Amino acid sequence: MRPETHDNLITARQLTKVYTTGRVETPALRGVDLDVRAGEFTAIVGPSGSGKTTLLNLMGVLDSATGGELMVLGRNAASMSRRERADMRLREIGFVFQAYNLVPVLTALENVEFVLELQGVGEARRRRAREVLEHLDLTPFADRRPGELSGGQQQRVAVARAVASLPRLVLADEPTANLDGENAEALLQMMRDLNRQQNITFIFSTHDPRVMAHAGRIVTLVDGRVAKDTEP
Amino acid sequence: MIGRISATYALRSLGRHSRRTILSMLGVGIGVAIGIVATSWIRGGAEMQIRAVTESGAGHLRIVPRGWSAERDITLRLAGGEQAARAAAALPGVVHVAPRSRVNGLLAFGNRSAGVEIVGVLPEVEQRANRIVYKSRMEGRYLRSDDPGRVVIGRTIADRLDVDLEDDLYVTLAGPDGVRSAMLRITGILGTGVRDLDATICHVTLKTLEEISGYTGTGDISILLDDHRRIEEVRRDLARRIDQVEVLTWKEVNPGIAANVDGDRGFMRALVAVIILVVGLGIISAQLTAVMERRREIAVLTALGMRAGQVVGLVVIEALAVSLGGAAVALGLGGAAAYVLATRGVNLQALMGSDFTFGDVLLDPTIYADFGPWIIAYALLLSVAATVSASLYPAWIAARLQPTDALRL
Repeated sequence: MRPETHDNLITARQLTKVYTTGRVETPALRGVDLDVRAGEFTAIVGPSGSGKTTLLNLMGVLDSATGGELMVLGRNAASMSRRERADMRLREIGFVFQAYNLVPVLTALENVEFVLELQGVGEARRRRAREVLEHLDLTPFADRRPGELSGGQQQRVAVARAVASLPRLVLADEPTANLDGENAEALLQMMRDLNRQQNITFIFSTHDPRVMAHAGRIVTLVDGRVAKDTEP
Repeated sequence: MIGRISATYALRSLGRHSRRTILSMLGVGIGVAIGIVATSWIRGGAEMQIRAVTESGAGHLRIVPRGWSAERDITLRLAGGEQAARAAAALPGVVHVAPRSRVNGLLAFGNRSAGVEIVGVLPEVEQRANRIVYKSRMEGRYLRSDDPGRVVIGRTIADRLDVDLEDDLYVTLAGPDGVRSAMLRITGILGTGVRDLDATICHVTLKTLEEISGYTGTGDISILLDDHRRIEEVRRDLARRIDQVEVLTWKEVNPGIAANVDGDRGFMRALVAVIILVVGLGIISAQLTAVMERRREIAVLTALGMRAGQVVGLVVIEALAVSLGGAAVALGLGGAAAYVLATRGVNLQALMGSDFTFGDVLLDPTIYADFGPWIIAYALLLSVAATVSASLYPAWIAARLQPTDALRL
């Protein structure tokens, strides 16, 4: 465990999460201690069922912990209301999903613009959406709907959507799981560039050794606990 | 607040299942069209009944002497009747002012007799304001203003007394100073086609009635307006300008017809409520399906930070679009049907036979539906109200979707 500092974006102490289905309780996290500082490019790895997605959900204030303490972007996640959580996700956290999850009836440009609209960005949002697409070499696909894009292109649009509002933190759940080697490499390079150029902190879960090779830090979860924390 | 992209998303989502959307619009449209036709028909029927009762002598408003309502004593007379009539005629919206007076009497010819309410009228006004006069078949002629000792009776009375034009009737009546009698010559016989109504018609001039009864002055003043919706406004004006009188509405004078009209309106409201319910259930079903199909998509939007209110907004926009389509369908179907009913009407003669009366009111055998710009507002209002209110439940379900659903997949 690293020392807690003022520029920690995530601070988890003895974090636990238990899923309850009927009378059956399934522990997913069994006391995670973790600090993530601003500007990191961190991979969370581990076998299936080790708690990677659960940890991402908690860090993204999508779900609530069962026990322990979690500070996200300087705020105690347990004390945040539903509205405050939604607001934090909207303004300060970007998400990239394994299955891309773009809105199928909107074009690539509109998908990026949508998040800015939800934030209340006015006239400038279309310009900003175009800038982001251009920056990520996605301009030729701006007017295409997700169904007209390849998996790699969709995931790049998903990253564009995640970073359009310049969030402090981007959480990505298995972002390369559905991509071939070339597309996975391109996506990781893009994320790494955004991390370096715009100082956006990336935390992503993965099984993929190619992804791990790009990571600045690798946190290994086993059975809901941090088994290893290394900086290659 | 819902922005342009959100609205685009909502509207394009409708296109994903265009058949379902079209069927939803048709469902809403047909339901609202039924509401339009029923409402148009009932409004037309109510207008007809109001017109019939007001034009059959009651007027929209009736000025009567103070105390008349308590016992309905027809021998009471207005203090300053002419002044009251002039004041009423000067008010905006007043079309006819018909002063009348009434006395109960017994008409006799030979050894036959008939009890009637003898009504004193101003002939020139009565011929324009009373449909029992201007719509009925007249044998002979109606009264003139200078027609002393002349009477117009109904066909049933003429048959009962076995009299004809120019026969002299012996009339006995109770005056203020005791029983009086006079002779009246028949100048006209009115036939409305309804025996019961024809048994009540006995008109003389106001002046003749004063002479034969001994009661002087006007008994009541009926006022016809250009629009029955102005009744309360004119009633207030009259009450301010005229003392020592009561101003009654047609409803107070004819509570039976009023109850009938109110009953029809109650039925109309109940029908609209049923339509809203049926349309609403259809919309709930369709939208709930649409929401559940997009469960993951909505959960992703929630994960990205969309608030519950914005999710509700998306679903409501979709419902609004369906409701506008439904309103267009309703106007096409219901509007066309209402137009046909309003222009051609429906003749109820086969259903009701020849009895087109309600009490002493002469009804029209043909009912015309009410058709006007109100139908557009009505279709929009009913469609939007039914659809949008029904969408709130699916919207609430959508707003409750947990964002973690998006990441588990």
